Amino acid sequence: MDFIVIAIIIVIFIALGSALIGMLKGGKEGSDKMFKALRARISLSVFLFLFLMFASYMGWIEPNSILPTQ
Amino acid sequence: MSNEKYYVPHGTYWPIIGSIGISTLFVGLANQMHDVSWGWPVMVLGFAIVAFMLFGWLGTVVNESIGGIYNKQVDRSFRWGMSWFIFSEVMFFAAFFGALLYARTLSVPWLGGSDNNVFTPELWEGFKATWPLITTPGEVGQNGTMFSTNFKLVDTWGLPAINTALLLSSGVTITYAHHALRSGHRNALVAWMIATIALGVLFLGFQITEYGHAYHDGLKLTSGIYGSTFYLLTGFHGFHVTVGVIMLTVILYRIQKGHFNSENHFAFEGVAWYWHFVDVVWLGLFIFVYWL
Repeated sequence: MDFIVIAIIIVIFIALGSALIGMLKGGKEGSDKMFKALRARISLSVFLFLFLMFASYMGWIEPNSILPTQ
Repeated sequence: MSNEKYYVPHGTYWPIIGSIGISTLFVGLANQMHDVSWGWPVMVLGFAIVAFMLFGWLGTVVNESIGGIYNKQVDRSFRWGMSWFIFSEVMFFAAFFGALLYARTLSVPWLGGSDNNVFTPELWEGFKATWPLITTPGEVGQNGTMFSTNFKLVDTWGLPAINTALLLSSGVTITYAHHALRSGHRNALVAWMIATIALGVLFLGFQITEYGHAYHDGLKLTSGIYGSTFYLLTGFHGFHVTVGVIMLTVILYRIQKGHFNSENHFAFEGVAWYWHFVDVVWLGLFIFVYWL
């Protein structure tokens, strides 16, 4: 499960990097590339958050907060 | 874009004001750390000079930009400047995330005797490698024992999840603002920008509340390697959200002034990217601190 979460984070970083390249390029083409990459970035991030909630609900993944206290 | 020659800045007094401001700020900071009485006011004065310089210098750049004296070469140099700034930001947070991962996966297990390392349990008798580690080995913990190892983290589905939802929502609203700007829908742009700023402010409010809870529960900057990395990461992130909110507010002001159009809006793009970056850093924090 950790692998899936980390894989999605890596794709989010790639999208953010792609947006940076678009911004660096500038012009109509660069601006389009940037917007599409940022849109992909936020869509993936929201998906990841919802996936975590679902995975937690299904018991596939447990948050770190479940730790014994002294 | 009136001329295609490289734009050479004219004589300006802002750099020297910036130098004076930064020097004053750090002379004040250094003395404040040595408990010198005038350290604090000098630091505040330095900060005020830096803020004045930023306001004045960036204002000059904005006026020159809308005055049409910049060409494509200047546009490129702005884009490169922003990219290098972003690179430094990525490296900055990479160092803190690196510290968190190093402590958690390498140095703390080593202290517990793993990997046949020189750091054996004999070095700190009774030490067991657990995470989160909130007492530095050798110190006496809050409960009077040498090692206070297990500590209940803030409930993941409480404020951290609410804050993640808030910041992700602000990522959605700025994407809608970006779309509205590109398609020339001015009213929608203003509304989405206000929503983004409001969500950012709300995030900061909740973050302060969470700090209050964590501090009350005994998690402090001095609470071992976990306390240090937790507060440094979330603290610097909070600082970046604050800067982001200020920049978004300036962009909103410039939108009201009619500085941007659907094709020419680099300042908006720079700030939008920065906001997305701050959002991703939080997502990373949420996942690596609270989940993985």
